[in-house]
Amino acid sequence: MSKGSASALVEIDDLVIAYDTPAGPIRGLDGARLAIGQGETLAIVGESGSGKTTLGMAAGRLLPPEARAESGRITVDGVDVVGAGNEELRALRRDRLGFIFQNPMSALDPTMRIGRQVARAIGGNPAVETIAALLRRAELDDPDRVVGAFPHELSGGMAQRVVIAMAIARKPKLIVADEPTASLDASIREKVMVTLGKLRGETGASLVILSHDLRLIARHADRVAVMYGGRVVEVGETATVLEQPAHPYTRALIAAAAGNEKPGQRLEPILGTPPVLTARCEACAYEPRCNFAEPVCATTRPEERDVAGRGAVCHFAESVLTRAGSQREAGAR
Amino acid sequence: MRLIAYLLPRIAAALITILGVSVLVFLALRLIPGGYADILLGPFVTPEARATIAERYGLDQPVVLQYFHWLVSLLQGDFGVSMVTRKPVLDEFLRRAPVTIELAMIALVVALSFGLPLGIASGTAGRSRGGVARFIGAIGASVPDVVLGSVLIFVFSVWSLWLRVGGYVPFSEDPVGNLRVMLLPGLTLSVFGVALVLRTTRDAVMRVMTEGYITAAVARGERPRDIIRLHVLRNASIPVVTVVTTYFGFLLSGAVVVEVLFSIPGIGLYTFSGLLNRDYAIVQAGVLLAAVVFITINMLADVLYAAIDPRVGAGAKR
Amino acid sequence: MTALAAIRVRLGRLLREDGLSFFGLIMLVLLVLLGLVGPYLPIGDPTRIGAGPRLSPPSWVFPFGTDELGRSYLPRVVEGIRATFLLSVVAVVITAVIGTMLGMLAGYFRGFSDHLVARGADILFAFPAIIVGLLVAAVVGPGQISAIAVISIATIPLFIRVVRSVTLGVSGRGFVTAAEVAGASSGRVMLVHILPNITGAVVVQLTYAMSIGIIIESALSYLGLGVQPPQASLGSLLREGSAYLTIAPWLVLSAGAVLSVAIMSVNLVGDAVRDGLEPLKGRLLT
Repeated sequence: MSKGSASALVEIDDLVIAYDTPAGPIRGLDGARLAIGQGETLAIVGESGSGKTTLGMAAGRLLPPEARAESGRITVDGVDVVGAGNEELRALRRDRLGFIFQNPMSALDPTMRIGRQVARAIGGNPAVETIAALLRRAELDDPDRVVGAFPHELSGGMAQRVVIAMAIARKPKLIVADEPTASLDASIREKVMVTLGKLRGETGASLVILSHDLRLIARHADRVAVMYGGRVVEVGETATVLEQPAHPYTRALIAAAAGNEKPGQRLEPILGTPPVLTARCEACAYEPRCNFAEPVCATTRPEERDVAGRGAVCHFAESVLTRAGSQREAGAR
Repeated sequence: MRLIAYLLPRIAAALITILGVSVLVFLALRLIPGGYADILLGPFVTPEARATIAERYGLDQPVVLQYFHWLVSLLQGDFGVSMVTRKPVLDEFLRRAPVTIELAMIALVVALSFGLPLGIASGTAGRSRGGVARFIGAIGASVPDVVLGSVLIFVFSVWSLWLRVGGYVPFSEDPVGNLRVMLLPGLTLSVFGVALVLRTTRDAVMRVMTEGYITAAVARGERPRDIIRLHVLRNASIPVVTVVTTYFGFLLSGAVVVEVLFSIPGIGLYTFSGLLNRDYAIVQAGVLLAAVVFITINMLADVLYAAIDPRVGAGAKR
Repeated sequence: MTALAAIRVRLGRLLREDGLSFFGLIMLVLLVLLGLVGPYLPIGDPTRIGAGPRLSPPSWVFPFGTDELGRSYLPRVVEGIRATFLLSVVAVVITAVIGTMLGMLAGYFRGFSDHLVARGADILFAFPAIIVGLLVAAVVGPGQISAIAVISIATIPLFIRVVRSVTLGVSGRGFVTAAEVAGASSGRVMLVHILPNITGAVVVQLTYAMSIGIIIESALSYLGLGVQPPQASLGSLLREGSAYLTIAPWLVLSAGAVLSVAIMSVNLVGDAVRDGLEPLKGRLLT
């Protein structure tokens, strides 16, 4: 890892999580490793099925009942999340974790007034002024009205600000935001992200953003972890990873992202589909879709290495880094 | 304001429904052999009385006018006269209503006090199929009142336990004796209710348990029992209210089979005896009152929906 | 052959995951078979008076005992299964046809026809089934026709409501709009594009209607408003037996047990169909 694990708030080590399905277990995480430092903003990117949501939710053991942790460890602020007792875990969630979900409307109870829901997030019997003050910190325009409102009376952006306020109510050490702006109007996404970043700064928490929006990540994340096939395949400073990717999958993601193209240039979709792992992958999971693949990629599982200041899980990370890019990828950035 | 704007169209719809019910009953009664005079006076009436009725209700006039006359007399509380007692049938129904209401309340209380806790426990147990609860639900919904009532009558008439079969005593005369008579029919009616409430509650709770706001509450570290109390129950209650009000409506409109089986003199037994005696004024009143009670109960359910869910009637979505 | 294999796989999964529903399916198949081949089984003649002593308890010769005329009760119960199922099936088929048509019309055309159908369903729904039974018996007289009419009147509004709401959902989907833009007639859109997509809901509703139908038939026949003697249905057998409940309980108990199993098997099969279409997942709050 590029950051020492001494100061790490979250340590994920060789974590394997499998989902039981009628057709047998499917691996959501296949030996994921990641350390999240105190106070940093880390973005986890990847396609659907890459494992980023599994990883994010695993931090609070919020996975569905059919998910099982098969091996490995995940510790949050010293608590072993997989092995913790229910009460220990509940205390962790309540006092040290904050979650922000993709759809704020479904994250709020439709039959309870906002004020009461926020009060429950704060805990105890907070005064209305305390509730309103918290909402004001989340930059809600009219907190006194919002306190008495029901969720359906709010806009999506307002509702997400309420959810953000609830997530920071107890000064968490870690905030996990799963696609926090994906369901919002494009015009307000940036503003909501700025609020989230500001509040992270105020609370000193670490912020993990699960997202596939590279432009958003480039502006708001200190570091980026790219996930593929249930593993973190590249992790490092945002500028380093996004400007000089060392993993072919990162390159492909950047090439496929809208907003990076020059006029007249076409976006390059990533061909093929993400893998469905039924057991530990003994090759490089990305090999079938990779432009750089060599025979060894199909036979040997790559391990994480330090490559030019970031971690990369690729047998040929150096050549990916140095090659200006294949014909297909020319000018992708 | 919101409540009024929400309820007004519902009241209008209920009135239209009642009107439609009355048209159907009116048309059905025209089809009964013997004609309308029979319905009001019974078959053994003098031609003079017949003529009086014919004139009063305009039986020689067009059907639409006849309906109108009929409706007006209904609205004045004139549901006809019982052929047997020669008394207005409405009075007879009102006299018997408390018996049926008591029976309905016993069944409802038992159904709720077993169905709700079992449904909540089963819905929050984390299994996809509730074991014991599912079994109770499957049995309870499958044994018809006649069969269950017969078994109870058999058991309690052979082993004379404290409860009694038959020999109705009014509550005002002997409350304990009344309860001894009413408990078995009440229980018979309640078993289907227990299954109904249990299943509906369980399904509704399980649906709510997978909602995002429940995951969010778990993620906030709320206590499981607080999550159930504050977030699950209220959100799961709408389908339960629907089913319970429908069930209660059916109970109130007269549990004919159980009242016949246990000889309980409620409105169900009265309506049935009216049919057997060809006392059609009773049948007419029984059908109309049952429908009106049912529609009214469902209106009350609409009020409850609005009280439970702030989105109901807000008109914000769709 | 492949269809058969697919059915076998499904049955196997049902057995593993939901033994209760599997049991229901087996019972339902058995009961239907019994109703179909009942008259040809060597279990005795249901109409023969004095086949044995009157009101004799169950024995090897008369497994369900005999009734007050000395008729063997087992063949009578089998005949009752036949009559009860036949009546309910006829009524439910009528309900399915009318309910599906009206529900689709209301859900697809919306507007005025929707209001009309919805109000009509409300009006029918307001009549409790047995009370309607009394009215229908008064008008057309007791008998099978009136039992069928009552079952249909009681189940049609439920059918209409479900089909209407499912149709509302389906007609907003892309392929329906595409067919409309391509110039398909309304009838064609409903038959070819909507109907196949609502069959799941219709099948689930069909099983509920069937179970309600059997309950209503038994109640009406118990009250003497349905199947008339000498013909037997499970409800009319209960009526006959209830007069001798204390001295010959096997009459009511055997007919009642078969009736309850019949209703339960239909319910359980309905549950399995519903679970297949719309599974509910359990979760814990930890």
